[in-house]
Amino acid sequence: MHKTGTRRVLSLLAGAAALVGMSTASDAATIRVVLGYYSAATQGLFEEMAKDYMSKHPGDEVKIEVIQWDNLQQRLTTDIAGGTAPDISMIGTRWLLDYVKNDIAEPMDSYITPEFKAGFIDAFLAPSTLDGKLYGLPIAASARAMYYNKDLLAKAGVNEPPANWDGVVDTAKKIKALGGDSYGFALQGKEIETDAYWYYSLWTHGGEIIKDGKSGVASPEAVAALTLYKSMIDDGLTEPDPTGLNRQDIERLFKQGRVGMILTGPWLRGQIKDEAPTLNYGIAPIPEGTTKATYGVTDTLMVFKSSPNKELAMKFLTETVFTPEWRIKFSKAEGFLPVMKEEAKAFADDPQLKAFTDMLAYAHFAPAVANWEQMVDAIIAALQKTYTGQSQPEPALKEAAATIDGLLQQ
Amino acid sequence: MSGAANPSANGMGSKTAPYMLILPAILFAFWIIGYPIYDLANMSVHSVNRFGVTTTFNDFNNYSRLFSHQLFVGMLVRTLIWTFGVVVGTIVLSVPVALILNEKFFGRQIARIIIMLPWAVSLTMMAIVWRWSLNGQSGMVNATLYQFGMLQSPIEWLATAGTAFPIEIAVGILVSIPFTVTVFLGGLSSLPSDIFEAARIDGASAWQRFRYLTMPLLKPFLNIVLVLNFIYVFNSFPLIWVMTQGDPANSTDILVTWLYKLAFRYGELGMASALSVVMFLILLALTITYAMLAMRNERRN
Repeated sequence: MHKTGTRRVLSLLAGAAALVGMSTASDAATIRVVLGYYSAATQGLFEEMAKDYMSKHPGDEVKIEVIQWDNLQQRLTTDIAGGTAPDISMIGTRWLLDYVKNDIAEPMDSYITPEFKAGFIDAFLAPSTLDGKLYGLPIAASARAMYYNKDLLAKAGVNEPPANWDGVVDTAKKIKALGGDSYGFALQGKEIETDAYWYYSLWTHGGEIIKDGKSGVASPEAVAALTLYKSMIDDGLTEPDPTGLNRQDIERLFKQGRVGMILTGPWLRGQIKDEAPTLNYGIAPIPEGTTKATYGVTDTLMVFKSSPNKELAMKFLTETVFTPEWRIKFSKAEGFLPVMKEEAKAFADDPQLKAFTDMLAYAHFAPAVANWEQMVDAIIAALQKTYTGQSQPEPALKEAAATIDGLLQQ
Repeated sequence: MSGAANPSANGMGSKTAPYMLILPAILFAFWIIGYPIYDLANMSVHSVNRFGVTTTFNDFNNYSRLFSHQLFVGMLVRTLIWTFGVVVGTIVLSVPVALILNEKFFGRQIARIIIMLPWAVSLTMMAIVWRWSLNGQSGMVNATLYQFGMLQSPIEWLATAGTAFPIEIAVGILVSIPFTVTVFLGGLSSLPSDIFEAARIDGASAWQRFRYLTMPLLKPFLNIVLVLNFIYVFNSFPLIWVMTQGDPANSTDILVTWLYKLAFRYGELGMASALSVVMFLILLALTITYAMLAMRNERRN
């Protein structure tokens, strides 16, 4: 009795082992794709791509998983440490540096044809190219521009959006003179991308975040860029106490029609359409200083070196995700800029999008350096010290520059 | 007693039996609590990359970088201000609330429930509600002040440390009161009523009864509340993180919010684990010191 029991257990185990073996065998043709959440459309869109791919390649399976951006980096870190990384993941392009340094990302050059690569807009391919090798394909791209409230500007007697910073200051003064609870120029002072809001000014003044391997945030151009913002706060040309407002807060002010000018990305168009459809607004380039500039940001799809199905993963990218058909569907649903030349033709007659794409020639990207997040926080601290009046632009920026130089030497 | 219950057991067995019985639980607790501490300590003396892979022993480099970090001392000072501010404020407010709720009056049960209700709300939710209330352009606080004509232009309450940090301490006090009042109420209801009657008959005033009877008898409960609140508040992350993320310019950052930034934003897992160990030791030292002081006092009494 006891013996048969044991034997039965053993045979059960053997059966289970066979099942496990079988399932791993069929898993060989399965690829797992982890994505960041852009909107309610993200999941459905990629599920359809997977279905499209699977119908053309019977037997292969593509599994889609969508995760909130806030948790994505931590989730991937844990998966990589635990040896359970997916085959493909969406990442913020600037994370790529760490992934390459730790030998986690697979170089893509041997999997793709020159024609495929040539189909991309060059500016968006550059950030995911490290040491001459391509480690990811840009899935979403954005550039920044200036939104302006046409009604508010007209009320202040300004009929054309200002093209340079002098014009911005002048327009903001006229809006201030109107009285009421409207502000001329929105200034972001806290949380994510507080630094980016200052880079617009830095780059258009001819400055650089990092130049020749050293920090450029305390250069005369940088000090001039920050002094401009500080003087606008002091003159009441921005909303009061900018360090109390994050990106959503200033965008809300714009949607309420209480701000004349704001610098932000293409996503605000979609929000205005839904939440403030009557707002009469236009989109213009980032104001010029001594030169033109904007901030370019891309997210990347990368393939893990640990994946047993790299060929298959690359096929899913080249044959489905990065085809004009799916790219157009993606950009329409998510409101980002086109990244492929074929795709861009479909949006050529959208004048609002043109305001963003016209800026691409002047786009700056976040520098590909290690410890970037720490540098960002040092810059934000300098900006906040200046905005709150705790420090003057020059000493605050010098402190941040010293921190950045220290991090660059690590 | 066990001898009476089980006359056949010899002296040796009755002594070791209880320990044997709780041994599995103790081992389990060691494994649950001890292993993470060991892992953390181990990580803190090695080089670690952002993916948690530990490599070489690095001569306490994580610790020296932590202690020489330009932000460390400021973080420590703010953590102590935050902790003492919240704990002392909580106790100063909780004692009278508990005394009032211990009196017999109409609606006392409802009042007790109202005091305890915030306990059921998560700290994160509470912090989000306050963040919105304190929003300068569309918050409830400014709207109310406008209504009463006390405000001409909006105040951004969370824009500078001068207002943000005291507000965060006040919210910290608010969320610590339910637990503290509950412990005090339990303590008050366990006090014998006869000595209070005796004191009244002897002509002791209400203040004298509070000062020389209630307070000394509440001492053990005060000790518990002090130690537990100290640990909770010292490690409290959600309030400050949700309301200001340590902004502006790290002026509302405390050790635990900085720890989060080091580990998950900067990928500095080595320094972060060193900081965790330092925080653990600070709490351990303070708790042990306090427990010893309290025990010595008790013995003297």
